[in-house]
Amino acid sequence: METCINLNDLNKWFGSFQVLDSINLSISTAEKVVICGPSGSGKSTLIRCVNALEPFQSGSVNVCGISVEKNGRNATDIQRRVGMVFQQFNLFPHLSVLKNCTLAPCRVLGLSDDEAGAKAMHYLERVRIPEQASKYPADLSGGQQQRVAIARALTMEPELMLFDEPTSALDPEVVTEVLDTMVDLAETGMTMICVTHEMGFAKQVADRVVFMDEGKIIEIATPEKFFSEPTHERTQFFLSRVLG
Amino acid sequence: MIEFLSTLIGPFHAKMLAVLLSATQWTVYLSLTAFIGGGLIGLIFTLLRITPINWIRKFAVAYIWTFQSVPLLMLLFLTGLGIPIFYQVNVPPWMAATVSLTLFTSAYMSEVWRGALQSIDVGQWEAGRALGLGFVKNLRYVISPQALKIATPPTVGFMVQVIKGTSLAYIIDFNDLMRWGKKIGNSQIDGAEPFIVFPLVALIYFLLCFPLTLLSRRLEQSLNIDSNKLMLTINKGG
Amino acid sequence: MIDLRFYEIWREQIFVEKLINGIGTSILLMILGGIIGFIFGLALATARGSKIRFLRIPSATFIESVRNTPLIVQLFFVCFGLPMIFEYRWPFFASALLALCLNFSAYYAEIIRAGFDNVEYGQSEAARALGLGKNDILAYIVLPQALAKVYPSLVSQFVFLFLTTGIISEVGVEDLTWAGRYIADRNFRDFEVFIVLTIAYALLSVMFRGVLTATGQLVFPWYREK
Ligand SMILES: Nc1ncnc2c1ncn2[C@@H]1O[C@H](COP(=O)(O)OP(=O)(O)O)[C@@H](O)[C@H]1O
Ligand SMILES: [Mg+2]
Repeated sequence: METCINLNDLNKWFGSFQVLDSINLSISTAEKVVICGPSGSGKSTLIRCVNALEPFQSGSVNVCGISVEKNGRNATDIQRRVGMVFQQFNLFPHLSVLKNCTLAPCRVLGLSDDEAGAKAMHYLERVRIPEQASKYPADLSGGQQQRVAIARALTMEPELMLFDEPTSALDPEVVTEVLDTMVDLAETGMTMICVTHEMGFAKQVADRVVFMDEGKIIEIATPEKFFSEPTHERTQFFLSRVLG
Repeated sequence: MIEFLSTLIGPFHAKMLAVLLSATQWTVYLSLTAFIGGGLIGLIFTLLRITPINWIRKFAVAYIWTFQSVPLLMLLFLTGLGIPIFYQVNVPPWMAATVSLTLFTSAYMSEVWRGALQSIDVGQWEAGRALGLGFVKNLRYVISPQALKIATPPTVGFMVQVIKGTSLAYIIDFNDLMRWGKKIGNSQIDGAEPFIVFPLVALIYFLLCFPLTLLSRRLEQSLNIDSNKLMLTINKGG
Repeated sequence: MIDLRFYEIWREQIFVEKLINGIGTSILLMILGGIIGFIFGLALATARGSKIRFLRIPSATFIESVRNTPLIVQLFFVCFGLPMIFEYRWPFFASALLALCLNFSAYYAEIIRAGFDNVEYGQSEAARALGLGKNDILAYIVLPQALAKVYPSLVSQFVFLFLTTGIISEVGVEDLTWAGRYIADRNFRDFEVFIVLTIAYALLSVMFRGVLTATGQLVFPWYREK
């Protein structure tokens, strides 16, 4: 199978504090990986390194056949190929939903307004909110905003999608609408890395589950194995906390 | 001192600098008087502005609005020229300047302080009330200590506005730094051209103001205050 | 005792003409000074926050110099000092306008910079994650949000600056204050003249605030105060 992401002995420090400790991970095209672990374990930092939002000190990061430079010099080459969805949505409040989606395709890919608009509408339909296209983000509910954020990333037609706790900032009753959208997306064959504690989602969608703690990958397993027979004590402890 | 300066920059420029510096003391006196006087009146109006009694509050709002909307220059003209002519009284320039700058300062100070009070979370008032504190005690023990902290940097910063404001008083013949600067600058004497004198005058004002600007900024950082938030609160009211 | 004779102000046609002309000049100066000062201010704010020392230090020096000295000194320097340095006299209106623009720009720059600092980090991060370049992020993401945030402060500053502009009458620019002084010098009713001027300034500042606030709602319809 074709490799989409390859992390080789990745190390990163914030000052003297090591956030990522010899990370090795290879993800193939169309694979779905869920990353979980306690807060502060470096999950966000890891996926931010994947799309060159963070510089790193040693090791190598290969994404879509491009080697990410440590200092982020070729960052935009990576970022236009990788979509990302944030915990806090980070929609642009001053742009309508449609403009949120079309800005990057127009400016980065050089599409015309019409082309970008058509594409954006296509993806807004995919996330089931085409009727909100002309509204401003502040007029939408949290769940709707997060679905717009997904559509915004998809309008760039990325080769893979990263999700950083996309449902953590949502009211419990709208979590499902976002998860359903992500499940739909998974079914289209998109390569996905999701940092999430939604274990139901992991069971349903993930090919592999990665457990991180203190900057290290502790355990990688299929969801069945991960949930039924976790090998590490820390994984067992974490699961008992999350699954209640 | 003057002799030393003479050897350094020549007798003419030493004399000029001495004149300007001696005029600067009047700028300083006027600034201090206006700041203290304006601060006291401003404090009174800040308190009136938040009393529970409706008409007093309205009166305070009207006062603050009025003296914030009146240009300082007009206050100077009114007190220094208008009133003396109209009432046939003699108003010395220092008095007109002091009154004008005090009124000007009081209005802006109470606006800043009101902003500081308003930026305190309503929850703090409610918490105080829940503890059984009345309005005055609540204000005294719960609200003002917090507001004071927020208000200090912009208060120090406003001192800069007051100093700059005093430069207008020359227009009613107050003998301050600006008046002498203008006199010398217009004197057509070689070595006292406007492009020498006015930068020098500017430098003296700068040396008065900039330390206060820095102090205000330092306080802001050490007290960890978001001045932008306060700025927006103040502007909403104005 | 109180014998107010406001009619003395519009007694002569030339007085009325000077007043109307003065109001027009004051408004024109504010519009020009406001727009040019804003553009300078934007450039200054960008330079001030730049990583390049060659841009950052001169702009910081300029901003601090202007903010810590009185407008009147700046005005005299620009109107009397600069023409001697350049050995070229241009009209006082132009000099006064230049002084106002420079003055406004320093105050605006400081406010705009506060706006830049206050745009959430997540915004530029999300833009980076979409592959947008540095300049695009500044122009399309950070700038509009920064301006919306500080717009009320810019309006207040504008009105505050308006109230300080009367001093340009000192260099012979025939603004509203100049018109008042012209009339008072001839009818000797200083008190009434300056009362009327005071009211005119208050009304104009209310008008400016109203127009600018309404403009803000048109330009930033999406903005919600937090
Ligand atoms: N910009 C930063 N500077 C310094 N430390 C940081 C920074 N960002 C994150 N960290 C630290 O790195 C660790 C990992 O953070 P993060 O990747 O956000 O963890 P997670 O997403 O798993 O909760 C945390 O201890 C956090 O405090
Ligand atoms: Mg995280």
